[in-house]
Amino acid sequence: MALLQVKNLTHSYGGSSPFVHDAVSNISLDIEKGEIIGIIGHTGSGKSTLVQHLNGLLKPTEGQILLEDKDIWENPKEIRKVRSKVGLVFQYPEYQLFEETVYADIAFGPKNMGLSGNELDKRVRDICRIIGVKDEYLNKSPFDLSGGEKRRVAIAGVMAMYPQIIIFDEPTAGLDPAGRETVIKIINDYRRETGATVIVVSHSMEDMAMLADKLLVLNDGKLEMFDSTEKVFSNGDRLRKIGLNVPIVTRVFAQLRNLGVDVPEDVFTVEKAVEVLKKKAGEKNA
Amino acid sequence: MLKDITFGQYYEGNSPVHKTDPRAKIVLLIAMIVFVFLANNIFSVVFAALSVFTLMYISGVPLRMYAKNLKAILPIIIFTAFINVFYGDKNTGIVFEVWKLTVTWGGIYRAFFMATRIILLIFISSALTYTTTPNDLTDAIERLLSPLKYVGLKSAVHILAMMMTITLRFIPTLIEETEKIMNAQKARGADLENGNLKQRVKALIPILIPLLISAIRRSYELAEAMECRCYNGGEGRQRMKQLHFSFRDYIACGVVFAVGAVIILLNILL
Repeated sequence: MALLQVKNLTHSYGGSSPFVHDAVSNISLDIEKGEIIGIIGHTGSGKSTLVQHLNGLLKPTEGQILLEDKDIWENPKEIRKVRSKVGLVFQYPEYQLFEETVYADIAFGPKNMGLSGNELDKRVRDICRIIGVKDEYLNKSPFDLSGGEKRRVAIAGVMAMYPQIIIFDEPTAGLDPAGRETVIKIINDYRRETGATVIVVSHSMEDMAMLADKLLVLNDGKLEMFDSTEKVFSNGDRLRKIGLNVPIVTRVFAQLRNLGVDVPEDVFTVEKAVEVLKKKAGEKNA
Repeated sequence: MLKDITFGQYYEGNSPVHKTDPRAKIVLLIAMIVFVFLANNIFSVVFAALSVFTLMYISGVPLRMYAKNLKAILPIIIFTAFINVFYGDKNTGIVFEVWKLTVTWGGIYRAFFMATRIILLIFISSALTYTTTPNDLTDAIERLLSPLKYVGLKSAVHILAMMMTITLRFIPTLIEETEKIMNAQKARGADLENGNLKQRVKALIPILIPLLISAIRRSYELAEAMECRCYNGGEGRQRMKQLHFSFRDYIACGVVFAVGAVIILLNILL
């Protein structure tokens, strides 16, 4: 059975007013344990609405969210337990830091789960080790850190709850290239260490190509595609029709093919591109 | 949720009341309130009430909008009326006595007057806020206070008006920000709905601190953006939208003062 199931999810904003509008409509999908899923779609396509349902911040207007075969809204009093199992890192998470020290801020989530003493301490120190928050930072004020470090600490604050599923909404927004790489590394490190399922919402096709096993494409609140990254990116025309695109390297390679160069279609990352081109150069020399 | 709260309750419309100059509206609001409180017999109060209902009708704002404002303040009206019932002159006739409290006809009469006045006051001020945008209101206040610059408060008036405008502008932004932060902390397991008073107050800290920081950040950004556009206070500043006192406004003033005169006449004659 899938770890997380979305069944016929519809969410309408506006209640009974004349401005009712379905932010997401009739979405069904299964998410398996350990997958990395990317969610793409242009602005206003319902990405944020969808992910806020997965941890119970929003309640479905219609349909169900099943976590390990149990409806998360079965007992509304227990919804906070769901939130520690399904972590959600919002866009610009550094704006939610509030504690006096980095340590206390990271401990906020696990404390809310009812942990204390050694167990709490172990959690905080473990997560700092996994994603590289330096020990010397722990007693500093989070407001004294640089932008990139603040984000790392804010992400650690959610990861310290050790959610089985962790969702990132635009985790790389507003960061320089080095910062983007760091965040992607943090996500990969957490996943390797815990085997968690990861869901990433992003506008960057390049990030998606580096991270995601499967891509979920939303268009105007509806599920457009949900398939492996290769399959989705091989549908360039369909993506362009809804205002999205394939990674730049893929476009470059498509142009090369148009010019008669024999290169494969399934190149989505720069690393892969370099590898393919080196091989080609080797063939020529030989 | 939070965004359902309305601040500044402008109701889109095209009525003569909407079109009246906001400065005139503010002055006339004050005048109307004075007249309503001057009315001291049944005839003048009824006349004042009729005038206010006419104003509400002309404003084109649905009656239920006015009722909504009244509902919020109803407990205060009932309380005031209730207290007044006991404060009448005993010579006007005793209705009944309980323990040391005496309800008199005079008291009931007083209570009725008090309640009517407060209700009319609410209606008059609602008519102003429903028909005037918050920006027009601050503009008008700035203009009305401008004589203060002759008594050494030259920049104060402009600064006050600018502060009001900025405050109104940022209320929706901050509400949105609050919602975001609340969601983010809820996602970290914060419990905002349960617990006793102390726990609930404590639960606000993770929301208030980030909100305060972001408000300060925003104000720095705004200050820089304003300086980049050469803002240096009110001196020599002109307005894109000039307020014009037109024929319509003189008529509005005339009507309101005529109403006032009739109320005073009714007071004296009857």
